[in-house]
Amino acid sequence: MFLGPTVALYLAFTIYPVLVTFFNSVHTLRMDLGMQYEYVGLEHFQEILASDEVFWRAARNSLTWGLVAPVIDIPLALLLALGLYGRVPFAKFFRTVWFTPVLMSYPVVGVIWLWVYNYDWGMANLVLRAIGLGEYAQAWLASPTTALPALILVTTWMFAGFNMVVMLAAIHAIPLEYLDAARVDGADGWRRTVYIVIPLMRPTMINLAILDFIGKMKQFALVWVMTRGGPMWGTETVATYVIKRAFEWKTLDLGYPSAIAVIWFIIIFGLSYAFTRLLQRREVLEF
Amino acid sequence: MRKRLTKTLLFLPLLAYTAFSAGPYLWTAMMSLRTTDEIYRSHYGLPIPAHWGKYYTAWTEFGYATYFRNSTIVSVVSVLLVTVIGAMGAFAFARRRYAFPLREPLFLLIFLSIMFPPQIMLLALFQILVQYKLFNTLAGLILVYVATELPLTIYLLRAFFAQIPQELEDAARIDGCGDWAMFWRVMFPIALPAVATTVILNLIYFWNEFLYAVIFITKQGIRTLPLAIQFLVSDQYFDIGMLATGLMIATLPVLVLYLFLSEWFVKGMTAGAIKG
Repeated sequence: MFLGPTVALYLAFTIYPVLVTFFNSVHTLRMDLGMQYEYVGLEHFQEILASDEVFWRAARNSLTWGLVAPVIDIPLALLLALGLYGRVPFAKFFRTVWFTPVLMSYPVVGVIWLWVYNYDWGMANLVLRAIGLGEYAQAWLASPTTALPALILVTTWMFAGFNMVVMLAAIHAIPLEYLDAARVDGADGWRRTVYIVIPLMRPTMINLAILDFIGKMKQFALVWVMTRGGPMWGTETVATYVIKRAFEWKTLDLGYPSAIAVIWFIIIFGLSYAFTRLLQRREVLEF
Repeated sequence: MRKRLTKTLLFLPLLAYTAFSAGPYLWTAMMSLRTTDEIYRSHYGLPIPAHWGKYYTAWTEFGYATYFRNSTIVSVVSVLLVTVIGAMGAFAFARRRYAFPLREPLFLLIFLSIMFPPQIMLLALFQILVQYKLFNTLAGLILVYVATELPLTIYLLRAFFAQIPQELEDAARIDGCGDWAMFWRVMFPIALPAVATTVILNLIYFWNEFLYAVIFITKQGIRTLPLAIQFLVSDQYFDIGMLATGLMIATLPVLVLYLFLSEWFVKGMTAGAIKG
């Protein structure tokens, strides 16, 4: 009785669509011909993996994003959390401000950062010129080499504060006895941080890093608003490519993008599982 | 003395990060009160005099009233549905009385789907919505929203319902409480703090959602705010002042609530940290 609506919705809008996507991935599905199905077996998969250069470019971009973002976000968040843990004044104010960006939608964030990266009057170049690095000022989103890093910085801006808050909660959950015992043994603040706080935070950091990774592997909205995948596929992600193949390119076939989605689904789950195992095993070995 | 010095040194990077974190948004807030002409003369001028009337203009002439209404309908209805359905589901998953074979595997499946990338369902959902004439309707969008946030809601609430002691349930039952009354009169009120965190988490997710909206809504009249902003930025790229006002309209409701309920927001959002 209580489970009825859940099961109905879950089957209709989660399980069934997933199965349909798998089914579509071995068909071509022409939208212009009234959704006519034609069985093609694994042809889409062969084409994607063997000869679709845009897919590989998009996969490389998404993977770069997924791997680079946690490496920046998590240590930055850790530093910020440790900074606030050191009983600085206005800690609550800092926390409130840093957390705010995660409450905004991607389109809002995207537009704001389009302005930040504006060549003539954007904040990014303004700051560079102000500190005498004016020769580095450039149109950040116009070059294939700087556009992706520029977008990665935007997601860092959004999520560093959020990750910081989760870590701060984890630091406060560390039993005070551990820290007191270390203090009695003569460990100074620096050593207590390195040898007690950080090792105890490891599970939290690994979790956050993996979530960050998954989030970036799915990244769609920011790219859609800011660069549409350009310039020269420089910021194309797998998620934007799926949508383009389904609705923008005049191929009018839902089968091919479904096959991309299936491949990416398997890669995300496989890598997340592998990272979880790998990082956890290392932890076991350390003890 | 040395301690004070290290404290100050520690303080500077924190201030620098705060500037980085708040700068872009404050800049937008200032531009929202200035006309585009003023902005092109100087991009970083203070909003003096402040053109509060721009908010009224955006609201009435640029369609923000409509988009705001659509966003509100979608968010509020979705939250109501996902909360009620999710709480009932979580209750059934949590309590021993409702156990049935395969309950645990089903829960595990629902738990795993929290991390499904939306692309694996997106195109098929498009097909389904078209088929059932729900494409380009707020109702269709709401159904999809409820289904996508249901797993996380159930997961968070189940943990809470599972902690409620069995004795309480037994006592209520002796007092003649049926299943329905047990849920609504006893369990749901106890779970309100946990429910509040999921309400906030889901509300923000629905208010800001973009991917499903951009695929399932193509009619201008039913665009939600995130969708509207994406279109306005390409239509009126040079009208920076009006866009800035629009961005503020889209974010202020959330940020004002956040100022008053920041502890709850932090709790809600970090509870959702399980989702990628």
